[in-house]
Amino acid sequence: MSSDLLIENQHGERMRLSMGPQHPATHGVLRLLIDSDGEVVSRAVPDQGYLHRAIEKIGECVEWAQFVPYTDRIDYVCAMNANLAYCVAVEALLNSDPATAVRVPRRAECLRVIVAELNRISSHLIAVGAMAMDLGAYTPFLHGLAQREAVNDIFEKLCGQRLTYNYVTIGGVAFDLYPGAEQEIASFLDRFEEEFRRFNQLITNNRIFRERCAGVAPVSAEEAIAWGLVGPNLRASGVDWDIRRDEPYGIYGELGVRVPVGRGYAGARGRVGDCYDRYVVRLLEIEESVRLIREALRLLPPKADKPSDPLGGHQADVGKQLRKPPRGEVRVRTEAPRGEMGYVIVSDGGKQPYRVRCRTGSFSAVGIFEHLMRGIFLADIVTIIGSFDIVVPEIDR
Amino acid sequence: MNLGPGVDALARFLAGPEPAWWASALAACIVWLGPLLLIVLPIAALGQIIERKVAAAMQRRHGPNTAGLDGLVRFLVRCLCWFLPRATQERLTARLCRLPGMQLARRLGLGQLVADGIKMLGKEDLIPGNADGWVFRLAPYLAMCGALLPFAAIPFGQHLVALEVPVAALYVAAAGGLTVIALFMAGWGSGNKFSLLGGMRAVAQVVSYEIPVGLAIAGVVLWCGSMDLQRIVASQYNAHWASFLGWNFFQSPFLALLAVILFVAGLAECQRTPFDMAEAESELVSGFNTEYSGLRWGLFAMAEYAEMFLVGAIIATLFLGGYQSPFGEPAIIALPAWLAALIHALMLTLKASALLFVMVWLRWTLPRLRVDQVMRLCWITLVPLALLALFGVALTMLAAGSVAPGSAYGRIPALPELHLTPLAHALAWVLPVAIAALLIVLARRQHGRLHPDLARLSGAGR
Repeated sequence: MSSDLLIENQHGERMRLSMGPQHPATHGVLRLLIDSDGEVVSRAVPDQGYLHRAIEKIGECVEWAQFVPYTDRIDYVCAMNANLAYCVAVEALLNSDPATAVRVPRRAECLRVIVAELNRISSHLIAVGAMAMDLGAYTPFLHGLAQREAVNDIFEKLCGQRLTYNYVTIGGVAFDLYPGAEQEIASFLDRFEEEFRRFNQLITNNRIFRERCAGVAPVSAEEAIAWGLVGPNLRASGVDWDIRRDEPYGIYGELGVRVPVGRGYAGARGRVGDCYDRYVVRLLEIEESVRLIREALRLLPPKADKPSDPLGGHQADVGKQLRKPPRGEVRVRTEAPRGEMGYVIVSDGGKQPYRVRCRTGSFSAVGIFEHLMRGIFLADIVTIIGSFDIVVPEIDR
Repeated sequence: MNLGPGVDALARFLAGPEPAWWASALAACIVWLGPLLLIVLPIAALGQIIERKVAAAMQRRHGPNTAGLDGLVRFLVRCLCWFLPRATQERLTARLCRLPGMQLARRLGLGQLVADGIKMLGKEDLIPGNADGWVFRLAPYLAMCGALLPFAAIPFGQHLVALEVPVAALYVAAAGGLTVIALFMAGWGSGNKFSLLGGMRAVAQVVSYEIPVGLAIAGVVLWCGSMDLQRIVASQYNAHWASFLGWNFFQSPFLALLAVILFVAGLAECQRTPFDMAEAESELVSGFNTEYSGLRWGLFAMAEYAEMFLVGAIIATLFLGGYQSPFGEPAIIALPAWLAALIHALMLTLKASALLFVMVWLRWTLPRLRVDQVMRLCWITLVPLALLALFGVALTMLAAGSVAPGSAYGRIPALPELHLTPLAHALAWVLPVAIAALLIVLARRQHGRLHPDLARLSGAGR
């Protein structure tokens, strides 16, 4: 028996536990170095970099439009939103000079909202389902996954892909809706609402689940801002901030996005910004996304007779502009399921970006881990990882 | 030797009217191994498939396996009829595979069982470099012992019990406690920190939950006035056609409460969700059995299901009339002994399997508790509740001025009957239930209402 296994607490020694990179609850290849005194964690330090693929460097080596498929890989759980963030940023760059201004057709704007919100639903389903699975409830995860499959079916008919879509393009979207898509999406939403209710009956109001999450790792509003949390993690702490409403892009300004925030949903034992709040905020966002998709379907202008018609079509022709984009730098941020996905793009007027910098939600979430994972139970670590909904390629890029 | 009438009869059959000790021991082994080989081990082996099928049904998918036994049949035909021409062998295989049972096997995925077994036997038996050799090797066998030894004292029928001792209830609890030593040996011997944590959790949890288990058993012992499981079962006999009315579970709300406590604590004892601390795959990867592979892992898996079946059998024996049929028990004991024994063994199997199903059902529904919550549930909820129920049982008996009810089995010495007038019986049920309901309502009110957003999410407002 090797002696490093002994937990000699009275001498101030700790057991060093390496959780990951191959561990079922670290959502990919995150590694946590844990110093523990038996069940109680005294310190946990995340160790990133196992999935680093130099995506930002690749951005400097390919042409503007060729980078879109790489954005899929930055966050493969919500590839539509990742596409959208990059495309919106490049469009902002083009719009910075009136000579290269691009006008995205309204139909494309509506389609972008539909696919982005559908993908937000499927991404949040993975988030809440995986969190339930981390807490030992396997069935809700599969029920969530079944609904994600339905979304994937729609996306597959739309663009031929189930995971990395490459659907949103600079100036519009790659394909128009297939025949009957509106009805299919609408009927999916109806079915989904019923399934979603069942999902919540199964797990959300489950006493064990709530007690496991209540009061675990609460993040106050000040802390959340100070540590740079974004998206649902920020809102769970009670900060009322959503890019879709406060800095709208596309047609989000017309939709009137309602923003849920954390209110200490877990009841007596809960606190604002605890794991349960982060979980519930995602559920409420799913609910809001359903409404937004219905709204966007209502606003969707009819298909144009001529596909090239810039007002009714699904794509503006930006080939010429991209060959000679304006010089300069833009910073654009969008609301992805894991929080703000922002791009800083520097252009030197060439066919390729000079620099592409991406800012993602998981990266800022993982920053606060070390701060939160002190004096908690070992089991709380997986609750915290699950509640922050990290996707590892977003951290490493 | 006096090992109960069933074993003694078998010993006399084997070795004449005055059997030697070895004949008695052999007879006891036969009586023990019979139900073990015919009932417990098949159920333990089927456990995996039951679990997978139930999980699949709950998750609305087909389940992991639809393999039939066709391949096995072809293999057997090739081996056994090697002298026949290949075409005839194939024709024979095809004919055998068209039998109705084979269709069912395909539907149930029984082929998976065979495949799993072969795979498990064929796998490399890995022992980690810094494992504590013999501790690591011994643990799975000890786990299996802990799961199988208690069955020696569980009555599968009027005479179908190997170890008819006056302290059978104690023996079952004690022998069942072996498993935790095995889990800790596995956790320590693996030389893996995750396994060690799992082993520590297992010990802390099982040792704590022995107390509510003990109190629940004590309640029944008090009520029946005996620790002999055979007598406990016999005392639940009721001559009415609806013989389940005699079961301990329906005698008093306190006994019913004890049954629920025993079930919950039993879940914890066999490390099942929501108490699967020791295994906790999302925290400790797989806990104590992370480092095991092949047959050793298979033994752990089988021990788990055998233990679940054991918990079911204990609850059935103590509270649900043991091997007795819920209806028409008087008619069954009037049947020839062998037929009655068959029906009785089947009844106990059905009851224990039903409870095993509930355990599987819970596993795929509930999340896992945290370590501190597991302990809190035991020490702050279950133990006081069990003490209260024990007190209630004693009080009920005192009020009725009597001890255990008698029995028609004949082997029980005459005990004073429990005389409860219908009014008293009704009161004995209504009063405790009403008080409990009041307490629950008060606790709910104090706990606070669900936030309206949460109520809306689960469709409560509709």
